[in-house]
Formats: sequence, C-alpha cells, structure tokens
Amino acid sequence: MTAAIHVDRARKTFDLGKGKSVEALAGVSLEVRPGEFVAIIGPSGCGKSTILRLIGSLEEPTAGTVTIDGRPPRELAGAHRLGVAFQDHALLPWLSVWQNVTLPLQVAGVKPDDAKIAALIRLVGLEGFEKARPRQLSGGMRQRAAIARALVLGPEVLLLDEPFAALDAVTRRYMNIELQRIWTESRITTLLVTHGVDEALFLADRIVVMSGRPGRIIENLDIDFPRPRMPALMRTPAFHALYDHLADLLEPAAAENEPVAGGGES
Amino acid sequence: MSRGGANRSGPARAALGIAGLLLFLCAWQAIGYYRLAGLSWPPLTDVIALLADPERWPLLGRALSATLAAMTAGYLLGIVLGLGAAVGAHMFPIAHPGTDRLAAVVNSIPSIALGPVFIVFLSRESTAAAIAAAHAAFIIYVAASSGLAAASRGHRDLLVVLGASRLSRLRHLDLPASLPSLSTGLKLAVPAALIGTIIGEWFGAPRGLGVLIVNAMQNFQIALLWSVVVLIASTSLALYSALSLLERACYARFA
Ligand SMILES: Nc1ncnc2c1ncn2[C@@H]1O[C@H](COP(=O)(O)OP(=O)(O)OP(=O)(O)O)[C@@H](O)[C@H]1O
Ligand SMILES: [Mg+2]
Repeated sequence: MTAAIHVDRARKTFDLGKGKSVEALAGVSLEVRPGEFVAIIGPSGCGKSTILRLIGSLEEPTAGTVTIDGRPPRELAGAHRLGVAFQDHALLPWLSVWQNVTLPLQVAGVKPDDAKIAALIRLVGLEGFEKARPRQLSGGMRQRAAIARALVLGPEVLLLDEPFAALDAVTRRYMNIELQRIWTESRITTLLVTHGVDEALFLADRIVVMSGRPGRIIENLDIDFPRPRMPALMRTPAFHALYDHLADLLEPAAAENEPVAGGGES
Repeated sequence: MSRGGANRSGPARAALGIAGLLLFLCAWQAIGYYRLAGLSWPPLTDVIALLADPERWPLLGRALSATLAAMTAGYLLGIVLGLGAAVGAHMFPIAHPGTDRLAAVVNSIPSIALGPVFIVFLSRESTAAAIAAAHAAFIIYVAASSGLAAASRGHRDLLVVLGASRLSRLRHLDLPASLPSLSTGLKLAVPAALIGTIIGEWFGAPRGLGVLIVNAMQNFQIALLWSVVVLIASTSLALYSALSLLERACYARFA
C-alpha cells in the first residue's frame, strides 16, 4: 500500500505583495516510484521545503502538476494516508508526547493501539517522556516525537523535512538506522529533505540535487548500495567517492546562492 | 527573562498598591469625618459599621444573592451567545464580517437604552440578566474570535496534512488555542456583567443591589448607599481575581 509521487514541471512563485514576487521553484519534475526512498539535497532556500509542501497539499503549484497515484495530494491527506514531519516540529504545546503522537489517529477517528504507540515512542527513544509536554523536551526530542507522529498512521507517503537537524551525531546515526529499518519493513514511499549528504547516501535509493534559487534539479543519482546498509558502509571508498561528487555539486550552487540571497526578488 | 523581571518588581509593586489603598481609605475617612464633601460623603467607619451590623445582613444578603443570581444567569447566557457567535463565524467565514458588524452595533447601544426595550420584550425580573448577558456576550465574542484565530501556521498546516475536517480542526486545534484569549475575555466579562445587572435592576427589579442603591438614594440613607457600593466593588474584585487565576492557568497550559 504505497503510492507514486509525480511532480510534473512544477513552478512556484510566491507573491510578496507590492508587485514583488520570488520564484522558489523553476520547473521541477520528479517521479518517485511506489516504495522508493528519495532524498533531496540542495542549498538553503532552494525550494526543498516548497516541494514537500506541494506534495503535502499545503501549497498549489503556480504552474505544472503534482499528483500522488494520479490524484491531487489533497485526497491522500483527506484519507489520512500522509505522514509528515516538518522542519519545525509543530507539536501541540498543550498535549503530552503521548497525546501528540496519537493526534493523527484522533483526527482520523481510529482507536489508538496502546501497545503500538508505546513501541513507537520507544523506537524514537522517548520512553519515560510519554507524559511530558513539548516545552519540557529538548529540540532533538521534539523532532523525534514529531517523527513518531508522522509514522503513527502507517502512511502511504512519508514526507520528512530535515527531521534530524537538531540531533547530535550519535542520535542522528541511531535514528538513521532505525528509519532504514522501519522503511525496509513498510516500504513507504519516502521523500527526505536533508542537509546531510552522508545521511542521504546512507538512506536513499536515489538522491536529487537542487540548484540555488530558483530551485531546479541538477542531478538525479541512483544509489544502489545493497540493503540493509550498515554504518560500516560510510567508511567504504565507494561511499566516499559519491560523497565527494555530491559535495562538489553542492558547493558552486551554495556559492552562487549567497550573493542573490538578499536581492533575489524580481 | 521578562517573567524574572516581573517577579523582582512584584513585591515592590504589591507594597506600592497596598500603600495606595491605605492612603485612599485614610483620605476617605478624613473627608467623611470632617464633612469636607458635605453630608453625602460618610466616614469610612460608618460604612464599615453598617456592613458589620448583623441586623443588616438579611437585607444585604437577599439583595446580593438576587444580584449574583441574575448576574450568573446573564454571564452564562453571554458566554453561550458570545462563544456561539464566535465559533459560528469561525466555522463559516462567509458570516464573519456580518457577525462582527452586528456585535459592534449591538455593543454600541447604551445599556440604559436597552433596559426599556428588554422590559417591554421580557419581564422586569429578567431585564437585569438580559443586560448582563448583552455586556458579557460582546466581550466573550471579541475574545473568542481573536482566540480562534490564534493557532500558528505550522499547527494549521499539520491539521491539513492530517486530513482534519473543519470540526476536528476546531476541536483539536482552534478551540484549545483560543483558551488563553477566551479566559481573558471571561475575566473581563465579570465586571461588565455585574454592571449590566445593576443597571438592569434599576428598571424595577423586585430586589437586588441595584434596587437597594436606588432606594437608599431616594431615602437619603447615605451609609447604606455607600455600603452597597462597597459590596458591589468587592464582589466584582473577588470574582475578577478568581478568574485571573483561571486565566493564568490557561496561559501556562495553552499558550
Ligand atoms: N510562504 C512563502 N511566502 C513567500 N516566500 C516563500 C514562502 N515559502 C517559501 N518562500 C521562499 O521560497 C524559497 C524556497 O523556500 P524553501 O523553504 O522551500 O527553501 P528550503 O530549500 O527548504 O530552504 P532550507 O534548507 O533553508 O529549509 C525561499 O526563497 C523562501 O523565501
Ligand atoms: Mg526547508
């Protein structure tokens, strides 16, 4: 039960008022096959989150189309089949960790399975914090709670926007391994936005590299390391070769992106 | 940081407040004692003596409970009307500008003018509660409307992604997010409802503090008049303080 994502020549221009606008995406085409894990990397402000918001039915493309299994993303969201972890965790401050994780079930009208919720909370390492409020957690713990919430519905499409950005290297490594395990079991169609090239290489079937704003795809790289992947993979020459290749792709883009960051409005 | 600052100046501010209150009470006593403002300004001690006289308690008690009953009825009705209108306008955005305008128009009619209208439409007994309800409803409406719009963009997005219906968005996000603002409205609506009740009682309610004020004034029972005023002010202050606690709890939990 996984879905295919199809982004076809999607453009997105944000109106800034007073006749000004900013072009976030300049014609992006991206196909994600059912059960595929795709990572998106690119300089800050290149439109990675915008792509995820288009697929998450939060934004409409200015031109082009975005579909999931041939239908508008709104339908998948309406059917409670979409799992999303945003760049900012978006936990509800008045709910406990447990209640936040079960919120998608409440909204979908599904009775929570306590054992399953407990397992999910254990999986993200928040055991013992079930009753804690988000404000009592560290940034990384909040992100992990948000990941548990994204997974709780057993979604068909999983959208992760820099979900591990606030984690330390060790926890991040651990979460990467766990995410790979969950994904291997469920084969959810997954789109991961990350700034970590090693993370993208470790997790993804394919890596999409974007240029600085306006965002367009400059590289589409199949990663066929066998699964399950072990942390030792990160020490192999093949891994390093790909890492260097991707880092090279990112560098000029990042350098170009800086000067236009202030005056990019057209 | 700002909370620490408030704490530090908290005791100082409280001391200043108490000093101010003492000064005010002393001035009251002096003006009354030396008849500086004529016969209609009694010394504070006369007012306290009257309030402390057990023979007066049945009279004051009856009036107070009648006023509290009317005020409570009006306050609750005001909550239902104000919150109902705010939620309705929130759920059906097309109705929002119209509801806003209606609320503003109703609020701009002075309660003194509303009184006779209510007496014609309702009864003398229920006019006090009706004016209290009108006062409370407007404040609750304004507070609830702004509260229902308080949820952050990120949280709204989350509920969209989760495929929440309007009703479930209201239940899981907008209503909880509105509670801080709503609790402020609940607090501010108390004195407003009490004033509305007193005004309503002037239009010929059978009993109540407002009735007592009118009677004491007409019979030149100055100490009684002032006692009732003190009673009203302390009731209002006590309820306001109680609801301040609720407000603080709401801000701590939901903001
Ligand atoms: N709602 C909006 N209104 C106006 N401009 C927006 C809006 N959302 C995004 N943008 C602009 O679109 C561009 C792409 O933003 P986006 O958030 O997709 O970047 P990103 O690649 O996710 O960056 P980062 O890595 O820093 O998260 C940015 O220039 C941003 O200013
Ligand atoms: Mg982003």
